[in-house]
Amino acid sequence: MALELPHLALETLARAEADRSRLTERPLLVVEASATPCVHAANRAARRAGARPGMALADALAILDTPELVEHDPQTQTTQIAMLAGVLLQFSDHVHPEPEARRILLEVGRSRRLFGGLAALRERVRETLKGLGFHPRIGVARSPTAARLLATLRNSAIPEDSEALRRTLSPVPLETLPLPAATREGLRAIGLRRLGDLLRLARPELARRHGPELLALLDRLLGRRTETLPRFDPPPELDLSLRLEHEIHATGALAFPLKRLLRQAEAHLRGLNRSLQGMTLELKHREAHARITATRMAPTRITLERGDPGIRAEDWLPLWQTRLEREVLPAPVIGLRLRATRLLDPPAQGASLLAETPGHPPSDAQLPAALARLSARLGEQAIVRLTASGIPRPEAAQGARHDLDAAATHPPPTPAQMICGTALWLQDPRPIPPPLQAHGLGRLEDGWWDRGQDVRRDYAVTRDRQGRRLWLYRCLRSGQWFRQGYWG
Amino acid sequence: MPGIDALLDHPALWRGRSAAPAANASVWPSGHPALNRALGGGWPRGQLIELLGAPFGCGETRLLVPMLAACGREGYWIALLAPPATPWLPGWQPLGIPPERVLLIRTEHDRDTLWAGEQCLRDPAFGVLLAWLGGPVETALLRRLRLAAAESQACAILYRPPGAAEQPSPAHQRLHWRPDTDGLELHCLKGIGDWARSGQALHIPVP
Repeated sequence: MALELPHLALETLARAEADRSRLTERPLLVVEASATPCVHAANRAARRAGARPGMALADALAILDTPELVEHDPQTQTTQIAMLAGVLLQFSDHVHPEPEARRILLEVGRSRRLFGGLAALRERVRETLKGLGFHPRIGVARSPTAARLLATLRNSAIPEDSEALRRTLSPVPLETLPLPAATREGLRAIGLRRLGDLLRLARPELARRHGPELLALLDRLLGRRTETLPRFDPPPELDLSLRLEHEIHATGALAFPLKRLLRQAEAHLRGLNRSLQGMTLELKHREAHARITATRMAPTRITLERGDPGIRAEDWLPLWQTRLEREVLPAPVIGLRLRATRLLDPPAQGASLLAETPGHPPSDAQLPAALARLSARLGEQAIVRLTASGIPRPEAAQGARHDLDAAATHPPPTPAQMICGTALWLQDPRPIPPPLQAHGLGRLEDGWWDRGQDVRRDYAVTRDRQGRRLWLYRCLRSGQWFRQGYWG
Repeated sequence: MPGIDALLDHPALWRGRSAAPAANASVWPSGHPALNRALGGGWPRGQLIELLGAPFGCGETRLLVPMLAACGREGYWIALLAPPATPWLPGWQPLGIPPERVLLIRTEHDRDTLWAGEQCLRDPAFGVLLAWLGGPVETALLRRLRLAAAESQACAILYRPPGAAEQPSPAHQRLHWRPDTDGLELHCLKGIGDWARSGQALHIPVP
C-alpha cells in the first residue's frame, strides 16, 4: 500500500492553525527558498487563481492578489512523515517512509485478514490519517512500484492477483511512468501510448532497444521482481510538538490543539504497541519583549500522572482540561510539546465492554481512578497517602506520598508505638498545663543512642472541660506535658 | 413529596434503576447494638449523613471505627477529606483499619472538599468518605453530593459545626452529637425510622 500526501505542507500548517478560514479564504503559497524561489504548494484559493506547485515565485506573485507566503521547511516535512510512519505502524510492522516523495509505503499483505480485507483496511488508514488532519492518496497493489503509481493516479482499484494488476495497469499512460526522458521519447516514437501496449511486446526486443532498466521497471510493477525496502524503526519515546500560528491567551483555548496532540499520541503509541501512565506538556511562550532586551521565557512544564496506564485521547483530554484550569499562563502560548519518556511495556487494555459492576471491591494493585482527576484539579500535594517511616516518635512516624503508583506495604506498628495507644489524630506537640487526671498508657523511649536527642515520654489520655479526649505525653526530661493529638 | 422521598429511601424498597446490592451489604456495621437498631442495621451505604457537633476530638471519629474497619476488610478505600488533624495510622492499624486503604485529601476551601467528595463517591473503589466542613455551604453543592452518594456504594459522612443545624440540608440523615461522660449523645435531627420520630437521645459509649 502506498500513501501519497500531496498537500503535506498545507496540512501541516492547518494542524497548527485553529482558525481554518485563514488558510482557505486567502491565497496562500508555501515557497521553497533557493536562488530562484518557487512555489512548493498552493492552497485551493491560490490554485483557482492559477498558481501551480513548481511555478516560479515571481510568476505566481504576478497572478495572485497579495497571497500569504510561508516558507517551506524540508525538515518539518521529514519529521511529519516520520510521525505518520509511526502512526501507521499500527497497521503493519513493515513501514517504509519516503520523505522526499512525501510518501509512505506499507506492507499490508499480512494485515489484511486482521482488518477485514484490503478495502476495509484502506478505509481505516484513511480515517486514521483524516483524524490527524491529513488527506492521503492511497494506492493498493501487489508491488510497491505499482502501489506508488496507483496512488499518484488516484486509482482506487485493488488488484488482488497478477492478472487483475495487469488489467488495472494496462490503460495507464506511459508518461506517468518514472522513466528517463530518452526512453519515454523512444517509446512514443514507435507509437506506444499505454502501458498495456508495452506489456504486449516481446521482452528481448524491448531490452535490446530500450535497455534493461525498462524491463526491470516492468517487472517491479507487476511484482515479478521483489523489491526490498528498509523497515521504519520508530524512536522509543513520545515527543510530539505543535506550533501554533496564533497566540493562545487562555488555558481553555488550549483544548483544541491539545486534542490534536493527544489523538496523535494515541495513534503513535498504538503503532508502537506501548502505553503510558504520565506525560509532560510544555507550553512554549512568545518571547516577551521587555523594554530593552528580549528575554526568552522558559516554557511552562506541566506533568500529569494517572493511576492506571492508558493511551486513549478521550480519557486524557478531560484530565488535562481540569489540570490546565488551575494553570495561569504567564505569557501567551505559541507552541505545545507533549513528551513521555517512560513508556510502559504491556499494551493498555481498552476500556472493558461492561462497566465495572458496582459493589465489587477494587483490586489491591489498583488505585481508585478518581485520584487522577483529584490530583489534576487540587494539585499533587493535596492527595496524601501516609507511609510508615520507621521512627517510633509519633510526630515523625509518618511520611507522605503524593504519587499515583500502586500501593505500598505497611509494616505493623512498632512495639513502642503500640504502647502509645490507638489514638486517631495527630498534631505537632504543643505544651499544655498538667491535666487533673490522666489515664496512663505507657512509656516511649527513642533516640537514646543520640546524646542529648533522646526522647522519654509517658503517654496518657485525658478529657478536657469541653469534652475533648486528648492524647498527651509528659516529657520525663522536663516534666512538661504536651498535647500529641486527639484520641478520637 | 416528603412522603414519596421517605418511601424511596425505605431500605426494603428495591428500585430497578440502581444496581441491586446484596440484602446485608447495604450497611456498614456500626459496632453498637443500640445504634444498629436505631439506624436500621448499621451505617447505611449510598447515603449522605451529616454529623453535627463540636469540638473536634470528642470521639466522633472513634464512633465510626467499626465501620472503617469493616470497609477496609472488604478492600474498599477510605477517603478523609480536609480533616482538622493528621490521621495517626499506627493507631488505626491495631483497630483493624488497613493504612494502605486510607487516602487523605487536603483542600483549601469547602467547595473543593465537596467537589472532591463527589469525585470519590463516583468512583466505585471508595467505601467510606469522611469530610470535614468548616463553614456554611451552598445547598446546591450538598445536593450534588447527595445525588452522588445515592448512586454509590459508599457511606458519606459530613462533619459539620453544630451551627449548621439551623440551615436545611438535603442530606439523607442528620445526627447531632454532644460529648457525654463516657461517650457521645446522639440526637437525630432528620432521618427515617422510629428513632427519628421519637426524638429521643441515644447514648453511645465510645472507648
